[in-house]
Amino acid sequence: MQGRRLIYLAMIVAVAVPMLLGWSLQPQRLVTAERMYDVVEGVQVEPGEVAVVWFDFGPGTMAENEPQAQVLLEHLLRRRIPVVLLSQYQQAEAALQSIPRDVAARLEREMPGQRWSYGEAWVNGGFRPGGSIFIQALVNAPDVSKFLGREVGGMPIAQYPAFAKIGGVERVKLVGHITGLTGVFDTIIQFFQKADYRPTLVHGCTSITIPEAYIFLDSGQLKGLLEGIAGAAWYSEVLKQHFPQSNNTKLLVVNTALSSAHLVLIGLIVLGNLIALKDWLRRRHG
Amino acid sequence: MEVRQAADRRAQIIRLFTLLGGVYFFAYFLLPESAIEAIGLKERHEPISNGFIAIGAMAIGLGLLNLVSAHGSRLAFRKKGWVYSLALLSGLFSMIVVTALQWRQSLAATAELRKIQVVSDFAQRISQDAEGQKPAPPLPTRIEALQRYASEQLSALDVGALSPGTSDSPLRGELRQSAQALREKISVAPAESGEALTPPTKEWLEAVAKAGSKLGAALSAYQRELASGTTVQQLYSLLYEGVFTQLGAAMFALLGVYIASAAFRAFRIRTVESALMMTAALVVMLGQISLGRMVSDQLPELRQWLLEVPNSAAFRAIRLGAAVAGLMLAIRMWLSIESRSFSSRKK
Repeated sequence: MQGRRLIYLAMIVAVAVPMLLGWSLQPQRLVTAERMYDVVEGVQVEPGEVAVVWFDFGPGTMAENEPQAQVLLEHLLRRRIPVVLLSQYQQAEAALQSIPRDVAARLEREMPGQRWSYGEAWVNGGFRPGGSIFIQALVNAPDVSKFLGREVGGMPIAQYPAFAKIGGVERVKLVGHITGLTGVFDTIIQFFQKADYRPTLVHGCTSITIPEAYIFLDSGQLKGLLEGIAGAAWYSEVLKQHFPQSNNTKLLVVNTALSSAHLVLIGLIVLGNLIALKDWLRRRHG
Repeated sequence: MEVRQAADRRAQIIRLFTLLGGVYFFAYFLLPESAIEAIGLKERHEPISNGFIAIGAMAIGLGLLNLVSAHGSRLAFRKKGWVYSLALLSGLFSMIVVTALQWRQSLAATAELRKIQVVSDFAQRISQDAEGQKPAPPLPTRIEALQRYASEQLSALDVGALSPGTSDSPLRGELRQSAQALREKISVAPAESGEALTPPTKEWLEAVAKAGSKLGAALSAYQRELASGTTVQQLYSLLYEGVFTQLGAAMFALLGVYIASAAFRAFRIRTVESALMMTAALVVMLGQISLGRMVSDQLPELRQWLLEVPNSAAFRAIRLGAAVAGLMLAIRMWLSIESRSFSSRKK
């Protein structure tokens, strides 16, 4: 019992100290995040074309998914690509409201005189029930704006000029999917496509589902990947290289806290094995 | 006997609809687009899909009834763990009440918003009808009606959201500007407003539609700002963001300390296989964290290789196996041979 308490204490200290003292280290370079940056950077939109980003996460995985959503949206908003936000998960409501608002406010502070307003830079389509059935209907709809109907505030999406004439799903130039749930990404991979349309798909996942996401990256169905907080941290570093005013200090501190927790884990694994080795040697020598 | 027959008939109906639903989506997914268009299914797919989504949403209601029934009886008869049932039902009902109040509050705002949206819709419809030469009242009459309706809505806005007593804010300023822009547009009658749609009239209608949309967007944003200050909204934020979000995050955060405990107690190297697994885990962990570069510059490449090659191969095999099993299960459910859950008769 005492030992377990010590382990818990070590973990809490490892996470809390870097966060309280604001320590930050350079994140590890992740090629998947770099690839995703290049994909988003390469997206070219004509007037009326949009990006669709799904926030399929709730409070449980907010710590990992929120930074991913922030960096992806920051990049899209910097590039003035109109974003339609959607979710298949009812608990994502708070994230759909607050994340784009915070990112836009940060960009406006960074570049006084420029504006990223709701209805022009992004629109919140809210939670959509139905999973795969909804996605199939969406990709087959002749006009995505009309199919989506109203945004969360009750305004028809088609009444916002930037989203008035999306037309068919072919005019969705990028699909972003950020999730902490298992099985939800599969519905996007399987159903967000049709005979003559394959989306440019990027994905942000929690550390637990990284191994599964790699099979889609390898097959080419997925063009870029954010691997947990580490992926978001490296993406923010790449953003900073291109936009030096971008402020990623908070994210780097969180990533450092995570690194420190990983070190405690590695230390505990080594310690546990050393103790087991010692016991084994003692038993062997009587 | 009659009860059993009725139950069997009900089960047959459920099986039939399950089969038909499966046939529909199976065919829609597999048939080429040209065939779907030829049989006229393309335009009917959206309402059919919405119907399925609505049926699926009913499961929430059923789940709610089940929850109330199970925990209500435990509470009523003071069975073991009734305190937890009380906590669950209190949370459930307080959230339902607050959300219902919030919804009721938003109804008035939505009604006000929809009246403004009609300005844009009306202007577009006049233009479309005139271009398509659809039977409609004379163009000047419709334009006059549009002007009158828009003026009425702007007057309503002046005594409502834009009344002098309301506190000022940047969003309210935007709303005032948008209202003024629409007022200016509708006050200038089209240069020609004869029976046929002339380019200046079309241009004017487009400008009115655009100004109407902009006013709707400004009103929607202002309504959101107003709603965020109400007691109901603050109560909702307290319950959702203050309690639910924090508890959810705390529950997930517990995983971190459990993993730490497991790292010490369970991750022991006992065989060659477990040694290999442990080495791979250490490389993947170190290759991802900031401090990994201090150990070796090659770690990220090695991590990448492990994830791209052995991991992808293993995961693909697992997924393929699971997919085949899932397919079999789906076919069994589709043909209603998986279980006799639709029938009251037990095996």
